[in-house]
Amino acid sequence: MTTAHVEVRDHAADRVDLAISGEIDLSNCTVVRDQLFAAISNRVAAVRIDLSGLDYIDSAGLRILFALADRLRLLQTSCELVVPPQSPTHKVLQLSGLDTLVTLTT
Amino acid sequence: MSTAGPHLSGYARPMPKSVDSDDAEDRLRRIEAITDTTLGELDVEELLHQLLERVMAILTADTATVLLLERDGRHLVAVASSGIEEEVRQGFRIGFGEGFAGRIAATRQALTIDQVDPTTVVNPILWQKQIRSLAGVPLIAGGELLGVLHVGAVKRVGFTDQDLHLLRLAADRVALSTHAKLTRVEKAAASALQRSLLPARLPSVPGLELAARYAPGEGGGISGDWYDVFTLPSGWLCVAIGDVVGRGLTAATIMSRLRTATRAYALESRDPSEVLTKLDRHIRAFEPDTMATIAYAMWEPSLRRMHISLAGHLSPFVAPPHEPPAPADIAVDPPVGFGSRALRRRTSTIDVPAETLVLFYTDGLVERRNRSLSEGIALLAGSFTGKTAEELCSAVLSGLLGSERNEDDVAVLAIRARELPTLDLEVDAVPESLAQVRAALRRWLPSAGADENEVGELLVVVGEACANAIEHAYGPVGGTVRIRLEPRGPDVLVTVSDSGTWREPRGRNRGKGTELMRELSDELSFEETASGTTVHLRKRLAARSKDQVSGGPAGDGAWVPADGRAVSRAVSGAVSGAAGEQHGETRSDTPSATPESEAPS
Repeated sequence: MTTAHVEVRDHAADRVDLAISGEIDLSNCTVVRDQLFAAISNRVAAVRIDLSGLDYIDSAGLRILFALADRLRLLQTSCELVVPPQSPTHKVLQLSGLDTLVTLTT
Repeated sequence: MSTAGPHLSGYARPMPKSVDSDDAEDRLRRIEAITDTTLGELDVEELLHQLLERVMAILTADTATVLLLERDGRHLVAVASSGIEEEVRQGFRIGFGEGFAGRIAATRQALTIDQVDPTTVVNPILWQKQIRSLAGVPLIAGGELLGVLHVGAVKRVGFTDQDLHLLRLAADRVALSTHAKLTRVEKAAASALQRSLLPARLPSVPGLELAARYAPGEGGGISGDWYDVFTLPSGWLCVAIGDVVGRGLTAATIMSRLRTATRAYALESRDPSEVLTKLDRHIRAFEPDTMATIAYAMWEPSLRRMHISLAGHLSPFVAPPHEPPAPADIAVDPPVGFGSRALRRRTSTIDVPAETLVLFYTDGLVERRNRSLSEGIALLAGSFTGKTAEELCSAVLSGLLGSERNEDDVAVLAIRARELPTLDLEVDAVPESLAQVRAALRRWLPSAGADENEVGELLVVVGEACANAIEHAYGPVGGTVRIRLEPRGPDVLVTVSDSGTWREPRGRNRGKGTELMRELSDELSFEETASGTTVHLRKRLAARSKDQVSGGPAGDGAWVPADGRAVSRAVSGAVSGAAGEQHGETRSDTPSATPESEAPS
């Protein structure tokens, strides 16, 4: 069973700090999307998501991040994804083209 | 209370000089009748019970009891009784030299008493039962004291010399049969224990061939040899072989505890010398005066390298392909439990190329009284033949034991690191299967030589191919996805097939999957036929490329990250621009390769 955990680390008035750990694939991407979207209110101006604890992400998982990035761009909210070079999903995120929409911090 | 003779109240009388022969012989025959015919089929308890009943009848006594000396040699325990079963039920136990039975055991002399009270008898049950007279004799077999047989009478006062003589004869029978039974029982228990501790089935590890033999010695009694093979959740394979100094049930019991301790420590450490250091501490704390030799090895998940620590144990034989077998040249530290304090232990690392044969063994294989150890080891090198692990076991046992009588137990464990077999998986075409596929890949890929990054990349590539089939191949009825991974030369070839028909993908942000697959593999093609869709992909692994010094399709298709990525980027840019997946036709990213010839069959 694929499991992921979405954690709200810090929720200030204008920004939210999140972390996703575990694995995201086709089987749990909807659950992860709902949790992720629910954690972000429309008042924030900046979203930061730490992915260093994420062990696996496939294109279904990337779709969530793309959808989120699209939505945040519409809301004029900045989005930053933290993926250190040694983290398991670093390469996939680098290759995904997400860096055209959000800031990838290594 | 009267006494039968000029003796101090309750104490030993000299043995009778003569016996009424007719009567005695008649009674003796009755005892023999039991001992000789019925005994064979009875277990020890039943046998003793039958004998006691008969002894009681012959001597017109009210109770008859057998106490056996405990293993510690310091206590007697009631094991069978007629007339006062409470003694057995309550596990009556008396110190060697104490009370009536203890005194008989200590002096090894017959004893009768006609006054049963706290001054002569320790066991309160006997006073409570109002026993007035007791007669007891030691049970001795082969010069070894086994215990005591005694009879008691309530109404009768005093046992005669003739009674005592009969009791002695009965005791001899009891002692002989008990001894034989106990020996058999102990032997059976020791060998049953040992058999239960050797792995009933060796673990099945892809890419590894395991075989083992255990030849019990004929020198009497089981020795504490053991071997163990198990895998850890981390994917490491652990191999232990050892020999507890000593024989019999005691050695087998210690062996069982060491085996368990080794497994427990193995879970906690990746360093064999650390495991043996802990085992050494364990043996010092809980098994004083015990010593054991052990070879303990941990194989990396790739199965191409072994880390090993030796505690006074013979070094395993290693035979890489096309090289003569030889004992691994590694440091040997003292046995566990040896010396007055723990010593520093060392771990050695041995490379194990594919098709290498490794043989672990206990000293019983090579040690003989009539020749030196080095002669034995030379003989082993000479007998080291066979291609498979099973053949090797048979060859060394027939070469070194042959038809010869082996005094000591012999354990051998042969391991052959195979070229990795193909991984075949078939899963239901549902999203929940993806985690299962990743778990199988995480186990298999390291054995194929994939490093951590390559494992991560292949997880995504194979995961995407599976996700495509799961999402697009089947209608509501569903179906299955077949995954096959095959090591070939420097590459891993992957096919992911379904028997459905792919529909056009729906939704936004599609096409990322195919893009990722192209980026992370060295070659990718889709083959769609009437019977289903198959994704073929190839990925070169750095470690396999290094191993392939000659042969194989090196050069052609070699992956150059910078250039490769640049080319792929251009291609996948076009793909995502088209916002559609590229299946429905066979294609390949590598311009020089023709899909038909490259596609794995």
